[in-house]
Amino acid sequence: MKNKQQKRNLNPFWIGSFFILLALFPPFFLSQYWLHVMIISLFYVMMASSWNLIAGFTGQVSFAHAAFSGIGAYVSGMLAVFLGLSPWLAIFVGTGASAFLGLGLGYLCIRMGGIYLSLTTLGFSEILRIIITNEDQWTRGTMGLQTPGFFAEYSKISYYYLFLIATILLLIFIYKIIHSEIGLTFRAVLNDELAASSSGINTVKVRILAFTVSSAMAGLAGGLYGHYLMLITPDIPSLGQMFLVLAMAVIGGMGSFIGPIVGSFLLEILSEYIRIYGEYHVLLFGLVALVMARFAPEGVVGIWKRRWGKRWLS
Amino acid sequence: MSEFLMYLTNGIVIGVINAISAIGVSLIVGIMKVINFAHGELYIFAGYFSYHLSVSLGVPPLLAVPLSVFFIFLIGLGMERTLIRPTYGDEMYSLIITFVLSIVLQSAALLIFGPYPQKPPNWVTGAMNIFGFFHYGNQRILSFFISIVVLISIFYLIRRTWFGKSIRAISQDREMTALVGVDHLRMNMVAFGLGAALAGAAGVILAPIFPVTPTGSSSVSLNAFIVVVLGGMGSLKGCVIGGLVLGIIENLGAAYISSMYRHIFGFIILILVLVFRPWGLFGQKAQ
Repeated sequence: MKNKQQKRNLNPFWIGSFFILLALFPPFFLSQYWLHVMIISLFYVMMASSWNLIAGFTGQVSFAHAAFSGIGAYVSGMLAVFLGLSPWLAIFVGTGASAFLGLGLGYLCIRMGGIYLSLTTLGFSEILRIIITNEDQWTRGTMGLQTPGFFAEYSKISYYYLFLIATILLLIFIYKIIHSEIGLTFRAVLNDELAASSSGINTVKVRILAFTVSSAMAGLAGGLYGHYLMLITPDIPSLGQMFLVLAMAVIGGMGSFIGPIVGSFLLEILSEYIRIYGEYHVLLFGLVALVMARFAPEGVVGIWKRRWGKRWLS
Repeated sequence: MSEFLMYLTNGIVIGVINAISAIGVSLIVGIMKVINFAHGELYIFAGYFSYHLSVSLGVPPLLAVPLSVFFIFLIGLGMERTLIRPTYGDEMYSLIITFVLSIVLQSAALLIFGPYPQKPPNWVTGAMNIFGFFHYGNQRILSFFISIVVLISIFYLIRRTWFGKSIRAISQDREMTALVGVDHLRMNMVAFGLGAALAGAAGVILAPIFPVTPTGSSSVSLNAFIVVVLGGMGSLKGCVIGGLVLGIIENLGAAYISSMYRHIFGFIILILVLVFRPWGLFGQKAQ
């Protein structure tokens, strides 16, 4: 019991100091280029952590997480471009659209079991890609949709702080969920579905809830990302992007709070160094993710924990 | 009228090949409760194997085609042994591993075979007049009959042989089957290899008609998954009917509604099935 108490107290402490460091240190020491890498890493932290909320904590594998971020980005971007809505407002409509579609897909598939959710979300991603590329009068197809940014004056530092604040709020929200009553039911569903349902937990409802929340978070992350890049392309909702998010969560460590955060920074920064090898980096990340999933399913964080004890991370 | 009949025939030919590919998925789901997301990539690899065997190495199609399928069978056995077997009982990890594998194989195909669509040479040439309505390529007619032969062999294998009986027994009750002396791990491996080989068979049969590209794999996988859900998970008959339904709807839809949205029809079918009959046409209604 004491150990558990300690774990709970230490965890936010370390993450908190890490993010304070992130807030104080980089803007004044990093070049514009590395600031950009940090912003992208924060986007991936949001994506991988929210995907982990459903995959790592309720055991449902969604392949539409990138697609939902694309919904967020495109809905928000199109509202800003065609209706002149402020991006600050538009991203919330985008988030709502992702949540709504997530609820619909979740409701249809989750009662049939995890395999159906994976199949349908994969199909959903493919279809979204086809629609976006074909409806080019609205989405500008593969050319990409140019959208306004958040700030009148473009500055990487403003975007960095915007992404940092959004990431921290999202992480606090996720942390609160997994350490709440609802989080307990998530884990109950993951560990033993039968036992959970026989002790009065509506397993389907819990999973649909997790899926909807997680999809909405992807929509928010995607909306922010789109208005940061100011060019929304079908790459955002692509399966390649989905794979990157999945690889970050798997390599970092699924089912742990810190895992996806570690994985996102690790892979994004690493991919900057191996960018010169072009398409090989997908193959490399794939092979690493495969080896990790096969031999160390708890990821880097799990290996760390096994080697240096449980005191530091959980 | 003759135009309509031609699109319908196209739908039926593609539908039968859909069925072969879908049975590959269904077999693996039925016995192991694993969805192989790398299914489409195996199809693509088979297409490229048959292309390179016949074009680069000059092997006659009669040998190149079965050889390609056999390679895919071996790859399937290897996949099961190294990656899938450790995930038994953990549905989530099997989904993640096969998805990652599909990305790995796709980028490997891009590196090995290049981004260009490739098309193995036709087995036969010329066209035939179908009852005076329209001319139809001999290659497609031959593909249709070969597919029928493959389907009949699968049905015979599953329904009539000892191997098929053990597979069906395992999908009903694994412990009991193991208890009466069936080597269930070995059966899993062979069934997975067979499922992979069926993806390969669909690939080699369709590659001379529709060229293969490394990026074409996800629509192949999706088609197979849609057919499996439509027919009902684990039902062979469902795969054949589902494959035909999807093939016909896709071809008529592409011809008369929109060819850009060819793949949307499949997804609409999937959603409709999930709304109205989630256990599929021939599947068993959940407990």
